[in-house]
Amino acid sequence: MSPDRAIDRAENETDDLVRLAIMRMFVDEARPPAPNELASIVGIPQAAVEASLRRLHDAHVIVLAPGTPLVWMANPFSALPTPFEVRSGDRRWWGNCIWDALGVLAMIGTDGEVRTSCPDCGEPLRLGVRDGEIGGDTAVVHYSTPAAQWWDDIGST
Amino acid sequence: MLLFRSEEDIERWSDLRGTPRGEVMSVEQQWRLARAWFKDRLRPGYRRRTADEAEAVFAEIGLTGPFWSLRG
Repeated sequence: MSPDRAIDRAENETDDLVRLAIMRMFVDEARPPAPNELASIVGIPQAAVEASLRRLHDAHVIVLAPGTPLVWMANPFSALPTPFEVRSGDRRWWGNCIWDALGVLAMIGTDGEVRTSCPDCGEPLRLGVRDGEIGGDTAVVHYSTPAAQWWDDIGST
Repeated sequence: MLLFRSEEDIERWSDLRGTPRGEVMSVEQQWRLARAWFKDRLRPGYRRRTADEAEAVFAEIGLTGPFWSLRG
């Protein structure tokens, strides 16, 4: 294996460990780890963590808050409150959109509820998942942006 | 990707914003997409889907056509 390929493989392995640590903390604590926490969890220097976070951001695996090494989104999770609240028992997370909010429950494989409101009329809307089946209020999902443009401005998508 | 009370709400909201109406899907369809899309996200070795793989997931639940193309 060439030195370049060995470096690529090491970076890929580091990136997967960093990504998993982010996802697991979101699942358990509804927040992403800070870079210094990631350094401790993964066991690498903070500079290496920040380089990994940048690679994951550039690959559209996570989204960093602009100008920082802090995780804003690791789909389906948002580090900041959004109009898409996800609840399961006494646990609560924030999804980036209705797709992500349902994705939290799908990914964890748990029963739960998504709470949002209609952007037009403001009516509260709730969807529930039980035993893998979806139910709840009558509603429809709207995608305003074509798929090819989703990452042009992921914050608004 | 937003949840609306009805298609009439989508029409009114789009008109007020002066934006074209996009694509509408049922809650059941969105749930199927969420399950297919995120099922492997907590597994080690997950990698982002290629455009072909992502479009195949869309097609499995009936999302086809230019709106769902990832090729710009």
